[in-house]
Amino acid sequence: MVVFEHIAAALYLAAGVGATLGLTLSAPGVLTGARWCMALGAVAQTAAFATLHRLDPAPALTDLAQALAVMAWLGVIFTLSLFSRYRLPGFVPPVAFIAFLAAFGAILSTSGPGVDASSTGSIPHAHVLLASAGFAALGVAGLAGIFFLVEHRALKLRRSLRRRVPMPSLEALDRVNRVALVLGFPLLTLGVLTGSLWLDSRTGSLWSGSLHEAWTVVAWTIYLGLVAMRFAGHQGARQAAASAVAGFAFLVVAVVGVGLVS
Amino acid sequence: MKVMLLGMNHKSAPVEVRERFAVAQTGPLLRKLVDRPGIEEAVLLSTCNRVEIVVITKNPDAARHLLLEFFARDLAEGELPTGISLEDLTYIRHGRDAVEHVFRVASAIDSMVVGEPQILGQVKDAYRDAVEVRACGAVLSRLYQRAFATAKRVKNETEIAKRPVSVARVAVDLAKQIFENLDDKSALLLGAGDMIEAALVALDDHGLGTRRIANRTPAHAEPLAQRFGGTAHGLDEIDELLGHSDVVLTCVAAEDPILTRAHVEASLAKRGARPLFLIDIGVPRNIDPAVHEIDEAYLYDLDDLQEVAAENEEERRRESERAERIIFEEREHFDGWMVTLQAVPTIRDLRQRVEEIRQAELERYAGRLGLDDDQSEAIEKLTRGIVNKIMHAPISRLRDETNREVGLARLDEARSLFGLDEDADDAELSDLDDASRNEAESDS
Repeated sequence: MVVFEHIAAALYLAAGVGATLGLTLSAPGVLTGARWCMALGAVAQTAAFATLHRLDPAPALTDLAQALAVMAWLGVIFTLSLFSRYRLPGFVPPVAFIAFLAAFGAILSTSGPGVDASSTGSIPHAHVLLASAGFAALGVAGLAGIFFLVEHRALKLRRSLRRRVPMPSLEALDRVNRVALVLGFPLLTLGVLTGSLWLDSRTGSLWSGSLHEAWTVVAWTIYLGLVAMRFAGHQGARQAAASAVAGFAFLVVAVVGVGLVS
Repeated sequence: MKVMLLGMNHKSAPVEVRERFAVAQTGPLLRKLVDRPGIEEAVLLSTCNRVEIVVITKNPDAARHLLLEFFARDLAEGELPTGISLEDLTYIRHGRDAVEHVFRVASAIDSMVVGEPQILGQVKDAYRDAVEVRACGAVLSRLYQRAFATAKRVKNETEIAKRPVSVARVAVDLAKQIFENLDDKSALLLGAGDMIEAALVALDDHGLGTRRIANRTPAHAEPLAQRFGGTAHGLDEIDELLGHSDVVLTCVAAEDPILTRAHVEASLAKRGARPLFLIDIGVPRNIDPAVHEIDEAYLYDLDDLQEVAAENEEERRRESERAERIIFEEREHFDGWMVTLQAVPTIRDLRQRVEEIRQAELERYAGRLGLDDDQSEAIEKLTRGIVNKIMHAPISRLRDETNREVGLARLDEARSLFGLDEDADDAELSDLDDASRNEAESDS
């Protein structure tokens, strides 16, 4: 398990460095290699998760570091699946570096004793997996939003003509944003619901009023508004991009920030 | 065998002269050329900017006259203006200069627009035509294979072809930063002049989906619409057309803007806020600059694009210096190969001379020694082995030397040392015979 996590982290790091070099040196071969490195990193991380239960004691997915590793892993897989439809130069470095940090964080967290989540049933795992998948998809939407805003600004300032590093087209970024939102919001909703069920199984109540729950519900409500505005046609691509960035920033605070504080 | 090139290009002759020498079917002409004595191989390249013939010949002086005659009789249509000779309009390159020129042409360094992508395909077509009519042999095949490899290296190792240098191409590059695919997009072109035509060519190369051409007089837009598979419209249809367009390019002679912010906002409302890319190359401008303030509208004018095109052209010039270094390296490699090719006749002559000596000596002593078949065979093997071992090192050195100067000097030395260019000199041979006889007698 730890060996696979080490391999995954190393491959993600290599993918991030390789893609950065490939972009700055305009070397398509290096970029392709970096993409393969990231894919192999995802395979290694899959193997790490598949062997998770063999550890004694088994680290819980509900541990924040493990949950972030799952989010990053799902984010990598989602990003790789987008490459088959869209030209997204520039996406590999941030995704690979985030995945590296998450995998590395999980390695550090496994050094301590874990909590066996299996004793609490399948709902915690379902909550972590669904919420992580939603978080990952909305993270990709946020990343596409950042890229969109940068590219939009460059086009408006007429700077993009002189740029040497290739960037995805605005149209591709907007479509990625849309797809990620369509996928991420239902997953986040299911994550919130399973979280309530888990809480109910432990405390007999669906709502405890904790900071994490409050922020998550606010984040979910924000996303509900974004989805409604986006699909009702009240938002242009730039506003949708800005909303995706703001929504994800709020979600990060709700999940990671509050998780670290509490 | 020498490489030689006779050509005419955009630097040596004006277009009205060049067009008289352009040929569509090079095959039959090439066949005719290589059937003439003195021309071993030939490739003929004919494009709108150049007509060049590359030949392999043993006699460059005779080939020069022959090629000038070929240009005048077989390629030219009509007479040249009085007072102008073909020699003034053409250039000749010999040997290494010719090789370098072919590499430079294939790599688009010698093109009117440095780094343009079409020339490599045209050179490949010319080579293919020559191969088809069997006008291209080992030397030109090797030369053109190296030329294609050089062009590939120049493309991959320099930035020469990376950035566009025409306004239309810059606009297409920009469109790709906004749209993922151009093939499902619609273009609206306002005007029917040269700039619109150039833009249509650039858009056509990138497979833009629908093209609508609107002009004050729709009949003037009709020929362009037919040529590029679009539809012709009047300027009064702009509002309707704008709602269905993703790319708008304007070049209309008009005092006031023909597209205002209100026009564009109304069209964006209809199209569901999808991005709209507008290129205004009209002077004075045809689109109100305030359009750029709309979120989904990206407006660029002639100055924006021209400035980038000029910067890119300057960069290509800088990059061409790097390309020249690659061309020099590749020419050196080709030179080395030519030297090894020139070594072949010398090596063959050398082997033949040594073998003649061995055979002569064997015959001389075979009867005297009274050897049986086994012994004769053993002597045969022995002498052959000795000769091969002695000749191995010099032949390898002649064959493997890739430095042109050293290689040619060695070939000269070998021919001189072994007397390969001399007729059988009786005196020399008798001296050799005497020496051999004495040695043989003393051995026995």
